[in-house]
Amino acid sequence: MTDLPSDGLVAVVKRDCPTCELTAPVLAELAKRGKLTVFTQDDPTFPETIPDRVDDTRLDVSHSLRIEVVPTLIRRSGGAEADRTYGWDRAEWERVAGIAGLGAGLPQQRPGCGAKNIEPGIIERLKIRFNETGLRSRRIEIGGDEDEYEAMVGRGWSDGLPLVPPTEERVLKMLDGTSRDPQQVIGIVPPELAPATVEKIAINAVMAGCKPEMLPVVIAAVEAVLDEKFAMHGVLATTMFVGPVVVVNGPIRRQIGMNAKGNALGQGNRANGSIGRALQLVIRNIGGGRPQEVDRATLGNPGKWTYCFAEDEEGSSWEPLSVEKGIAPGKSAVTVFAGFGLQGVVDQKSRTPESLARSFAESLKVLFNVKSAPSADALIVISPEHHRTFREAGWTKARLYEELYRLTEIPGEDLARGAKGIDEGGSPDRAGTMVPKFRPGGLMLVRAGGDAGMFSGIIGGWSSSGPRGSTPVTREVKL
Amino acid sequence: MTVLLDPTSERTPTRRPRLARPQKLDGLTVGILDIAKARGDVFLKRLGERLGERGIAFRHYAKPTNTRPAPIALSQQIATEVDVVIEGLSD
Amino acid sequence: MADLEARGIPTVGVATVEFIQGAEAQAKSLGTDPALVFVPHPVQDRTDEELQQLADDHFDAIVKLLVE
Repeated sequence: MTDLPSDGLVAVVKRDCPTCELTAPVLAELAKRGKLTVFTQDDPTFPETIPDRVDDTRLDVSHSLRIEVVPTLIRRSGGAEADRTYGWDRAEWERVAGIAGLGAGLPQQRPGCGAKNIEPGIIERLKIRFNETGLRSRRIEIGGDEDEYEAMVGRGWSDGLPLVPPTEERVLKMLDGTSRDPQQVIGIVPPELAPATVEKIAINAVMAGCKPEMLPVVIAAVEAVLDEKFAMHGVLATTMFVGPVVVVNGPIRRQIGMNAKGNALGQGNRANGSIGRALQLVIRNIGGGRPQEVDRATLGNPGKWTYCFAEDEEGSSWEPLSVEKGIAPGKSAVTVFAGFGLQGVVDQKSRTPESLARSFAESLKVLFNVKSAPSADALIVISPEHHRTFREAGWTKARLYEELYRLTEIPGEDLARGAKGIDEGGSPDRAGTMVPKFRPGGLMLVRAGGDAGMFSGIIGGWSSSGPRGSTPVTREVKL
Repeated sequence: MTVLLDPTSERTPTRRPRLARPQKLDGLTVGILDIAKARGDVFLKRLGERLGERGIAFRHYAKPTNTRPAPIALSQQIATEVDVVIEGLSD
Repeated sequence: MADLEARGIPTVGVATVEFIQGAEAQAKSLGTDPALVFVPHPVQDRTDEELQQLADDHFDAIVKLLVE
């Protein structure tokens, strides 16, 4: 560095620091006694006591010297740093400078202030300028003539809606949202079987509109869908409707401001929307999974833009979905489910749990087709008002599950091909038996929604459910 | 200039790959778009004649002015009427 | 050209050799890989016969870029 002396003292200060102001006369003393170079971080007219102070408002020297506190005093010898101290401490300054009797009249010591070069925003820009970001992704240069939003869409990165440009600065800030190493591989993304590193996930999270504090949830969701049991390739490539649906549990919901209440499955909440969207962008951009290519969905469903919501745990008499899936209570977790759409269940008259359970069962029985059983898995989203009916009757989740599996058994003769004048259906050999609509473990219950409204919802699953297809996967959120 | 980080697996080159072409032109319609620089029309007319000799359907279009991009209505019309386009003559 | 390709229409551009560097610069900045055929410069002062000959000379090259 051309500005640094190979021998002598170096001080880094800023005007906006009472301790730096305090030590200004000491710097003058040191300047009289030997070689001293003073760098100022904010105001080049400070300190007035040093006429040939150096302007470091660009903070290049401060960054290279790794200054964290001002004032910092450094002794250099033979072209290298020999010693340093920061803040004001008479004994320390005398030791580093090798000069006794400094700062007469000053207190013994005074703490310094945070250096300007490590302020949030500034540190990222410096790391970018010095190429110290540790970011490994390929840089894409967008020329001045090109609209960066059009450029991103033109390169195929978009789900159809605008993206937030993933600049180095935004991605660095996003990575602050996790303590994980940016190069950690979370999983391998189909269909191209490309590694999803934390860095790559962060880039897509930026584009989706996430805040850094949302990144750990996105990472957990990616980890979950890439679990073999979820069968992500199949879920992507199917002609059926499904995409990953993400349910979030635990303290993280409140911490990042998720919506578990009114319109929880709809628009309007940044965390809900951007987390689900980030997951879809990871599948698209890292995995290469795109509609009418490997994604062969005939219709798909709007949830493939984003489908992520928080469970309404507070005041529920049931354990959260994550706990049901084996996560310790009080931990944040995500559960991913291959699902689609929302079938509304309207029941404004049932006063008993038995009657309400039957409402749900009759609605569940038409999933896919009245003639289809076993059909798919289903995720039932029970509104607070409907849940209250079960809670007041003392029904546990287990009780309701038991009831629903039983009530959704269908006489085999009703399911035979041709029965009810519908060609769809199964073997007539099942006549005289009761056929379950759902496989054991094929139903999941979560509570969500606004406090008013006797309306619940069913999120249908994929025809290949269970061990031969996609199984819901739960993963803890690690910050 | 804006620098963005690549969100993809980086297995494709930074240049977007060219749009896939058809296997052959028989049965397709070729659009010939004159970008309205002087004398280009003569060149393009001859290309059309050559296509015609080969039995390939073609349609001529022209930008109203060379100095601005094609109006959206023209682009839309071309996109719905032809399968491939020859655009010229930039000089 | 980029606009028509964005609309799903494979396109071939024809330009004079003067355009080679400009076309490359634009392609680089847009991140595209356009199909281009370059003809000798100049064009403006040629006779009709010369232009028709130019078209005949480059017809095969143009068609080649319109198909796989």
